[in-house]
Amino acid sequence: MSEPTVPVSFEVYRFDPATDTQPRYQRYTLDLSPHTPVLTALLRIRAELDPSLSLRYSCRSAICGSCAMQINSKSRLACETHVGPEMERHGRIVVEPMRNQPVLRDLVVDQAPFWREYNGIEPHLKLDPAHPMPEGRPTSMSPEEVERFKETPRCIACAACYSACPAVEADSSFPGPMALAKLYRFVVDPRDQAHQDRLVRIQPNGLWLCLRCHLCTEACPKDVRPSERIRDLKEMAIQVQGATERGSRHAVGFKDNLVDRGVLNEMKLVRQTYGMVGMLSQVGQGLKIMRKKREIMHKPRAIQNVEEVQKIYEALDTKEASR
Amino acid sequence: MKLAYFPGCVAQESGKELDMATRWVAKALGIELVEFPNFSCCGSGFVDEANEVLNIAINARNLAIAERAGLDILTICSTCQGMLSLANLRLEDPAVRTRVDAALKPLGMSYSGRVKVKHLLRVLSEDIGLDAVKAKVRHRLEGLKVGAFYGCHLLRPADELAWENGEEPHAFEDLLAALGATPVYYRGRVMCCGFPIQFVKSETASRIAGRQILDAKAHGADAMATPCPLCHISLDAYQNVAAKAVERPLDMPVFHLPQVVGLAFGASPEELGLPRHIVPVGPALAKVGTH
Repeated sequence: MSEPTVPVSFEVYRFDPATDTQPRYQRYTLDLSPHTPVLTALLRIRAELDPSLSLRYSCRSAICGSCAMQINSKSRLACETHVGPEMERHGRIVVEPMRNQPVLRDLVVDQAPFWREYNGIEPHLKLDPAHPMPEGRPTSMSPEEVERFKETPRCIACAACYSACPAVEADSSFPGPMALAKLYRFVVDPRDQAHQDRLVRIQPNGLWLCLRCHLCTEACPKDVRPSERIRDLKEMAIQVQGATERGSRHAVGFKDNLVDRGVLNEMKLVRQTYGMVGMLSQVGQGLKIMRKKREIMHKPRAIQNVEEVQKIYEALDTKEASR
Repeated sequence: MKLAYFPGCVAQESGKELDMATRWVAKALGIELVEFPNFSCCGSGFVDEANEVLNIAINARNLAIAERAGLDILTICSTCQGMLSLANLRLEDPAVRTRVDAALKPLGMSYSGRVKVKHLLRVLSEDIGLDAVKAKVRHRLEGLKVGAFYGCHLLRPADELAWENGEEPHAFEDLLAALGATPVYYRGRVMCCGFPIQFVKSETASRIAGRQILDAKAHGADAMATPCPLCHISLDAYQNVAAKAVERPLDMPVFHLPQVVGLAFGASPEELGLPRHIVPVGPALAKVGTH
């Protein structure tokens, strides 16, 4: 039994650096069943309508991670995105290359920045030289130890998260969600001997630029949940090194800030994060805002029963408790 | 309808206009806001970074306070919404539950997990309903093109917050249309405002904010509107810094969600705290010609 087909209109990003100065969008219309994957449609376009279309793909089964692209502005695998729901939501299907990586041609990007960040976290086990992996025998891990990896081993390195990340887009020093999720995987590996070193080294550049916007977790086709693992890395980094970076000073400062009143004391937090001297950099903007909003200078009143909050801190905010 | 009002830190201090507008709109719609002067800060995502279980516990206390009063919680901030909802969800993990219960017990408190946490946007869409909202409109915002800006924690992680379709939300746009305004769809509406790293690397944060405003502008928005006072700080109070970061003039009025509702219901700009904005909203008000 064949499914009824519907006309599906595509607008596909086209760019050939040899001949084009600007990208353009080319329209194609195909009659397709709603369950057709976008990748299948693109391959039909290439086979039947336009052999010049460039795209990257391989397995067609959401395993290889090759066909990530933007479909109606979302970073997805083309092989597992069906045309029906896209047409229902948008009335057309706009196909573009991934973001945050230079376009080589049409839908094909240069993934060098993505792989550079991946290599930068040294994605291999660092063993204790005194206790190398026993030759010829697998090492064992308890089920509890395996559970600590959470979903990170599922990553297929498709770069959908890297494409979706606004911090990568705005700041090339941020390693991106995939590299950090991979870092987490090595930090929690019981065989790895470089946990602390890895956490110390990642902080100055990468870790604290994460916006916790969860766009990576939305984009990930394998539910690796990078944003949640980056949160875990932040807490572990504070445990290993204390609040040494501006980001960790802000997080720890915010936490400590609430103990006195149960609500935020904005001025005190700015002082904690920047230090007295650094605070001067904020004075100009502060004055501009204060003209309309005098409250930013107020000390807020403590909430009622603030001692309840303080008791919760006593129970859960000790070094032992946070481990 | 009666809800435990969780205004959050910002709406009680520098974002007071949001609190003013919320009270005005709630009164107009017959929503009773029950106040709890013992509610604490939600931790704003920062406490979560420093100590996850502590963050869940302080929010479990807030939830327990509402539960004791037999009320669901109304939030007016995407981040408060996110933190309280995530606490509800994480408490389903038995290991977390045990530690949090142990911290609450000495206070004579316990939390069963039954309190619903709802943002004002959801209450307007689902509980009040857009027909009832429409019935209160005295001055349709005809001709005003508004770009909704949701704020991350109202939408994501979508599978955990489980309300709107996080990827393609439309509740805010539907509300704007019900008020007579023209919603503007643009990619940036579900993106990040940059606020979480404003204090880590201001330049990067501002570039992110600037790009979303430029995107709204490129799609024809006369104004933006947000359900999150932290986004409002990035988009309004720091708009001059964002303009510098993207090297373009922005001049984009940014409303809090209940301010747009209040305007359509006939409230005055003063009642809604509009003179408190850093970027003047005058040009947007002139478009609808009420004030």
